[in-house]
Amino acid sequence: AGYGQSDGNEILQLIPPPTLLTKETQGLCPERDFKVECGGFSERPVYSLKYVPDTSLLVTSGPPNSSLQVWQVSAEDSDVIKSVSTLATENCTGQSWAKIDTISARAPWVLHGSRLDRVQITEVESRKSVYTAASRGSEELSGLAFLDCNTLLLCCATGRLCLADVRQPQSLVEATPVPPAPCSEHWCLGSRHGAQTSEPSSQPVARLSSRGLLTLTDLRKTSEFLALAKARVPSPGSGAEFLCVSWAPALEGCLAISGFDGTVHVYDTQSWDSSGREAEPIFVHKGHAFGGAAGSEELPLVTVHTWHLQKPRTLLSAANDGSLHVWDWVQPCGKCG
Amino acid sequence: MCAGAGQDVGRSCILVSIAGKNVMLDCGMHMGYNDDRRFPDFSYITQNGRLTDFLDCVIIRWVRPFPCPSPFCLGCFLCHPKNSITPFLRFQLHFPYPTEFFAVGQVDEELEIKAYYAGHVLGAAMFQIKVGCESVVYTGDYNMTPDRHLGAAWIDKCRPDLLITESTYATTIRDSKRCRERDFLKKVHETVERGGKVLIPVFALGRAQELCILLETFWERMNLKAPIYFSTGLTEKANHYYKLFITWTNQKIRKTFVQRNMFEFKHIKAFDRAFADNPGPMVVFATPGMLHAGQSLQIFRKWAGNEKNMVIMPGYCVQGTVGHKILSGQRKLEMEGRQILEVKMQVEYMSFSAHADAKGIMQLIRQAEPRNVLLVHGEAKKMEFLKQKIEQEFHVSCFMPANGETTSILTNPCIPVDISLGLLKRETAIGPLPDAKRPKLMHGTLLMKDNSFRLVSPEQALKELGLAEHQLRFTCRVHIQDPRKEHETVLRVYNHLKGILKDYSVQHLPDGSITVESILIQATAHSEDQGTKVLLVSWTYQDEELGSYLTSLLKKGLPQSPP
Repeated sequence: AGYGQSDGNEILQLIPPPTLLTKETQGLCPERDFKVECGGFSERPVYSLKYVPDTSLLVTSGPPNSSLQVWQVSAEDSDVIKSVSTLATENCTGQSWAKIDTISARAPWVLHGSRLDRVQITEVESRKSVYTAASRGSEELSGLAFLDCNTLLLCCATGRLCLADVRQPQSLVEATPVPPAPCSEHWCLGSRHGAQTSEPSSQPVARLSSRGLLTLTDLRKTSEFLALAKARVPSPGSGAEFLCVSWAPALEGCLAISGFDGTVHVYDTQSWDSSGREAEPIFVHKGHAFGGAAGSEELPLVTVHTWHLQKPRTLLSAANDGSLHVWDWVQPCGKCG
Repeated sequence: MCAGAGQDVGRSCILVSIAGKNVMLDCGMHMGYNDDRRFPDFSYITQNGRLTDFLDCVIIRWVRPFPCPSPFCLGCFLCHPKNSITPFLRFQLHFPYPTEFFAVGQVDEELEIKAYYAGHVLGAAMFQIKVGCESVVYTGDYNMTPDRHLGAAWIDKCRPDLLITESTYATTIRDSKRCRERDFLKKVHETVERGGKVLIPVFALGRAQELCILLETFWERMNLKAPIYFSTGLTEKANHYYKLFITWTNQKIRKTFVQRNMFEFKHIKAFDRAFADNPGPMVVFATPGMLHAGQSLQIFRKWAGNEKNMVIMPGYCVQGTVGHKILSGQRKLEMEGRQILEVKMQVEYMSFSAHADAKGIMQLIRQAEPRNVLLVHGEAKKMEFLKQKIEQEFHVSCFMPANGETTSILTNPCIPVDISLGLLKRETAIGPLPDAKRPKLMHGTLLMKDNSFRLVSPEQALKELGLAEHQLRFTCRVHIQDPRKEHETVLRVYNHLKGILKDYSVQHLPDGSITVESILIQATAHSEDQGTKVLLVSWTYQDEELGSYLTSLLKKGLPQSPP
């Protein structure tokens, strides 16, 4: 989806080439092109987009306020994504855009909020508010996620990490604060991909700062860091708008980070300790920097990346030049264990 | 009207009626069928009666299975369902050897056709059909990204009333060309390295040349020795035309052409049927592209049994062809005579088709700035989003008719009209001085005679047409409260008007009526009420302005007279 300030933002649902759909790569790959399955037009910029599981709905969020837009992905006869409704949040003007996550447990829910004291769960279809978090400060949120249908993970831009329980709106468990920074930092959150299982998460939660600092926290033991490392990223202070950290769904201990420049770094966290040493990426994807039109003056910035759900070593990444890359990576030989 | 191609791929055929002229655009064939379905359904156009009588012009771009006399004779042929191309001599067009990117041809006095370069393949062109001030731009395949051997399609800001464009790939977002080419070379290289044979079925024109240049350069760089063959016949012929019409191709190629003929390859040699049985690795380009007949199919049958070999399909395959079957994963093919062919060779697909994708279509619209857009070739339900996108971005109407459906588009034609000097002088004499920036309202009579439009003065029009002028008079009753005698009232009215209309000739006639120029005012007593007088004001159509002014003046009543 587009995120420009103009009213010409598009939401596109693409069909990936068949090669990306099958788990095993076969010899025959008839098509390499993406196809537009359907598309829609959004008047406001789209900063976040979530598919609502078990429905044909999308929820998007973006400036200028924290209200949410609900979209209906096309029916049989049309390929147009239509706007269904707007979920206006209380007092939504003058706030930054809402971070969102969706789940379909008891009903299709959307978790949304722009500040720590404004976190809500709303039923997408009935637009009924089912949960409002207790107020614990008005810090700006940088990310939130359903860990399961009862547990919420909230991360503030300051690095503050909280766990909330839907059944007990008053409860809020706070994790170890991030190391103090000499200058202001922006933190973002990376939790386990998807929230299908109900067992307590064994996958640590990753936090990434705009200085390239990475912390891993085991949610069963939030009082200490599991690991602390410094990613090798370019000059700090290059906007924090597109920071992104994500865990590989099928590779133990692998995570990818982006948002610093035109690259995506892949790290293996298994060797990390709590020393905060600089970590060596096991792969750096530089494709976006080369893919652009020759002689373009500015290097593109990776806006978001995600892991392929089935193919362990395939990632998708997008940059602000409009490029979308699907790539495989291999571990440099000699390092394979 | 779409007789084929509307929401369907293959049987492209569109009928355009523009300012009274009927032009048939394309008359393609569906490669998947061998019966009537192969051809567009002409019954949509005319039920009985000859098609040829109905049409003013047929434009055919690159009829695939038949060699065109020349890719540049973008000629007018008529395709009969009877399987032959009959030159449609009456209107045959020959474009001069193109030295520019476009050529203009005149079909008859009114119908003008302009061909633009469409990239994609030499000889493929976009057409502007112009009758009077109405115009349609038609383009089938075009390519908005420059190739090694051909530049990108180009059109000027011709602002046609309608742009008809293909949209087969309207929902496609292209993979980057560099990635595709790298993969292609990698696959060919791998196969050749392990001693396999590579078959690349191609169409006569277009991709083949591009791939040849790509392989030639790669072979040179990697110092490879395996032979590359080019199937004889069409492809060679195509290369011959390329050489002839090098001016149309890419600037870069044109430059190197001076030093060395880019199409005379060092590593690529003409193919002989016997070579197919030679041992060792080789790469062969053979026609046709969908493996439905001919040399490519022959070679395929020879090589299919060996898993070391590979076939790379570089383009789209229509359903029903061998190409389509193997691409959809069939490994056992039934050939003619119930013979079963087992395909053990590697089957690869490398889409090098250069059809414009969604981005390309938008680019073309931006270039040409049409007032309306019509999409053909695509699948109906998938085009709704593109339609909305085009309408939002360019603020033009977008249509996508199904086969047999007719779309009517209203145009706003500018019709030039001559104005007589006398009228012009007379009209400009009235009112402020003419200002070039402001429109000026003029009165005159429009004469449509002998296919020309003229604006003349009413008198001249009457004279030319030999007509007498009709007189149209308006009469209006105005009630005036005045208890005096009738003639006294008239006198008061007379004095009143004379006082106000100083520049006009106001006369009191002996019969008791008043005239102001040609306007006549008479008074009668009201039959019932002696205190009310009725004034009859009568004027001709020509004096409408003064007449209505007088009426409104009198309706206000007379000034109070001294007692």
